[in-house]
Amino acid sequence: MAAARRLKRVAAAQPGFMTLNTSIKPEHLVSNRRKRVNKNKKKNWNKHIDVNDVEDFLEDIRLQERTTGGLISDKTDESLFFLDAGDKKAATQTEKTGKRKASRPLKVDQILTNHSLVPVPKDILAYQVPNAKKLRSVAKKAEQLAAIGKVPKKHRPPSKVARTTKTTATDAPNNPTRDFYDIWGQESELSKETRDPWYLRQTGKAPVKRREKWNEKSSLLPAVEVIAPGGSYNPDFFSHQALLLKAHEVEVKKEKEENKILKQLAYDKDDRATEETVFQEQVEGLEEEDEEDDHDVDDGCTLGILNLVEKKTEKQRKRERLLKIKEQRRLASRYKTGQQQQLFQLRSIKVSLRQREQRTKQRQIQRRANQEAEKYRPRRLGKLKFMAQDLEVQLTNELTGSLRTLKPEGSVLKDRFKSLQKRNLIEPRERAKFKRRLKVKYVEKRSFREIT
Amino acid sequence: MGGVQKKKFDRGAATNYITRNRARKKLQLSLADFRRLCILKGIYPHEPKHKKKVNKGSTAPRTFYLMKDIRFLLHEPIVGKFREYKIFVRKLRKAYGKSEWTGVARLKDNKPVYKLDHIIKERYPTFVDALRDVDDALSMGFLFSTFARTGKCHVQTIQLCRRLTVEWMNYIITSRALKKVFLSIKGIYYQAEVLGQTITWLVPYQFSHDHPTDVDYRVMATFTEMYTTLMGFINFRLYHSLNLVYPPKLDSKAGGSALKGEDDADYALDCESYMEKLSALSSSLARVVSSVEEEEAEADLFPVEGEDVEQMEAREKEHKEQEAQKRLFEGLKFFLNREVPRESLAFVLRCFGAAVSWEKSLCIGAAYDVTDETITHHIADRPNMEKQYINRYYIQPQWVYDSINAKICLPVEDYFIGVTLPPHLSPFVEEKEGDYVPPEKLKIMALQRGEDIVQDEEEEDDDDDDDDEEEEEEEEEEEEEEEKADEQHLKKMETQRSQGKSLSVKVTPGKVKEDDRGRLEQEEKAEEKRLAIMMMKKKEKYLYDKIMFGKKRKVREANKLTAKRKAHDDASKTDKKKKAKKQ
Repeated sequence: MAAARRLKRVAAAQPGFMTLNTSIKPEHLVSNRRKRVNKNKKKNWNKHIDVNDVEDFLEDIRLQERTTGGLISDKTDESLFFLDAGDKKAATQTEKTGKRKASRPLKVDQILTNHSLVPVPKDILAYQVPNAKKLRSVAKKAEQLAAIGKVPKKHRPPSKVARTTKTTATDAPNNPTRDFYDIWGQESELSKETRDPWYLRQTGKAPVKRREKWNEKSSLLPAVEVIAPGGSYNPDFFSHQALLLKAHEVEVKKEKEENKILKQLAYDKDDRATEETVFQEQVEGLEEEDEEDDHDVDDGCTLGILNLVEKKTEKQRKRERLLKIKEQRRLASRYKTGQQQQLFQLRSIKVSLRQREQRTKQRQIQRRANQEAEKYRPRRLGKLKFMAQDLEVQLTNELTGSLRTLKPEGSVLKDRFKSLQKRNLIEPRERAKFKRRLKVKYVEKRSFREIT
Repeated sequence: MGGVQKKKFDRGAATNYITRNRARKKLQLSLADFRRLCILKGIYPHEPKHKKKVNKGSTAPRTFYLMKDIRFLLHEPIVGKFREYKIFVRKLRKAYGKSEWTGVARLKDNKPVYKLDHIIKERYPTFVDALRDVDDALSMGFLFSTFARTGKCHVQTIQLCRRLTVEWMNYIITSRALKKVFLSIKGIYYQAEVLGQTITWLVPYQFSHDHPTDVDYRVMATFTEMYTTLMGFINFRLYHSLNLVYPPKLDSKAGGSALKGEDDADYALDCESYMEKLSALSSSLARVVSSVEEEEAEADLFPVEGEDVEQMEAREKEHKEQEAQKRLFEGLKFFLNREVPRESLAFVLRCFGAAVSWEKSLCIGAAYDVTDETITHHIADRPNMEKQYINRYYIQPQWVYDSINAKICLPVEDYFIGVTLPPHLSPFVEEKEGDYVPPEKLKIMALQRGEDIVQDEEEEDDDDDDDDEEEEEEEEEEEEEEEKADEQHLKKMETQRSQGKSLSVKVTPGKVKEDDRGRLEQEEKAEEKRLAIMMMKKKEKYLYDKIMFGKKRKVREANKLTAKRKAHDDASKTDKKKKAKKQ
């Protein structure tokens, strides 16, 4: 009710408000009596204070700004007034050509154009970025990472694996018609790839460097060991004999090993059971009585020894103590004189020291030599030991002395393989044994059975 | 008290090593692939110093790798390729199983393939590093190129090996780098000096393979795969160092007629004939700058500080000698008979500047016929030839090899066909002072020195030898029939000529004085030495005596061997004579 009444009153207070009943003047509708209102509440300020004068004033200012671009009071006199010195307009109009006329803007557009001299307020939204704060923080972090040399994943180029060009069958390492290029040259493909600073910066990863150690030889043996001079197809007599001797020694060694095993397996023939021993074994345990008597005597003896241990008397103890002290004193004095005597033995001590030093030095040399020799020896790299291949040797009657009739000995393939093993490049291995998991069952086919 | 109890085997040596199986699991590869990877990358197993510490208290022998090595392998892109290949095989098997033939074809087209170039670059950072390791590569290449195409390994591998080895041989021929050859019962050993590196390789005789069963072919094939790639790059570089075209092209100007033989089709298909011609080793290669004949650039002489003029002269002399050796067979024309090893001989002869040919039916690329009158040496390996030309030597192939090792053209008469050959000595043996030297080698050494100033002793020796020989000859002549009369005559002529030459040099009045002066000097020196020995301290004297005793012992042993040899020779001689008499 109160709200409706207030609305009525505000409407009636507006200028130009016409009442339906002409007898009643709008002024009378609003009572002259000032309404008492509490002003200590903000709500009442809005309601009851008349702000029209302020509004008018502001409206006037806006108008001024719109039309002149600022307050008229602030403008200088020159900008507001001018000296009227005749009609210049007519003179200018005569120069106008038809073309100019055509380019005159349309009325519609003129109406729609903004006549206000107040500049258009900035469109803040156009400058606003959604998620600006977050983006800013991300950018900041990226900057920090970039300073270290890292680039976020999003900006990295596609990874190297994806970038590699597709290798085709012509690139296969065993293609007989493949091309080669100067791999050790200045500007080879590979060196460029590895030296690329951009790749380094972007991925933060250098290609893994090969350690110098891996390029070292694992053995000092030469790759191709030349056969002894006796291995010539037409050898000198003595070098051939020398080679034969070597081969012979190898064979003898092998035989010795075999014999050793045989010997270990063999039994002593003297221990073989004879009739006598068999009989003894069978009879054993049947004749007991004699032995028992012996046992009795023994027992008596042990008992006697036990009985001999008696308690010492006080006198005995005293004497023993005295003797002990005496002995200790004697030893001490002897030690002392010994030490004094050592002063005179200095020379011999020196000699012995020198000898010991010499011995250690010799041992050092020996050890170093052994270590050097070790570099030429095949190492134990797996389950199996390295076994050198059989020496290639032709007996005197096998030698033909002519290149045409020469029968090559041994296999170069095997020689190469063994050489690789000998130089510790691969571990010696055995050929995998074939193990049948399931039993084979032989079944006669029915068709076959029908025939037979 | 307190603290965490230390666990065993999680620090120290135990963490530095890793067993093969663990490494394999870490890399997620099958054993075969793991082994292949290790070979390609040059990562080899290690024997730990303290097995017990590494192997968790057990001393059982196992294969260990270094942990760092395996971690390094993890970065290898080829590992990914291996995995891809595994998947490829699985897919292919599946497609076969379902008989999807289009699928099989598609898969085969997209077969994953890996390249080894980056590994080569990584393992051999410089060219010299690669050259040092080429021994292995060459031996393996020559071995594989002689394999029969029976499925023991890929045919492509064999072809590639053949191509690369032929390229290598052509390079050696053009650069004349060969130094030594040794025919052994196993194969032929060659030694060459390429860019200051001594390279030795072993070539098996042709058709000598029985495939041994205890050799892992897969491992060998992997090594070959790596080595072929290496050799390709090395060949490329070597060819460019000589201004040769790579891949090699035959020089169209020099061997124009040989290049466009009309009967090429008889030997090989068109596509293969070029390779065959290359491998015939008979014609020279095309150069990048072909027109200009390369002049021998003389080495500039800059005396290095602290080096005398004498040393420099010695070096120069050495250089000249080497140059002369390179032209050992220059101007000689050889013809190879059917039964001799063509490839080896052609290679070796061309390395020293000879012209070589063979029968047209034997191989492509024959330059001239048997009937050519200008042929100087005919190499044959049969007891006798029916038709012989008068103006050429008929010799056995060993002459070529022995001459190369001796670095001079040896006298031909020891190597005529049907003659028992002198022993083929190994050029790889280098005798130290006081070692036993076989008399054949002594003879060769004497011949080598024959060109130099020192002549007196040899001449005496030679004279003695000649005398002996002449006596023998006389005896033999009496006994033998007239078949060899011509040969004998030739021999005599030669000896006479050599004697005549030596005589003219020998008889000079000034020499006697020189000798005297020399003797005086020698005596003086000996005196000085004796005095020095007398002045020695007791300790030094002891050591000196010991050394001298060792030397004497060595000499004594050598003498013993020579005496033995002489006894043996005499015995064999008398045996022969007896036999001859009996006959």
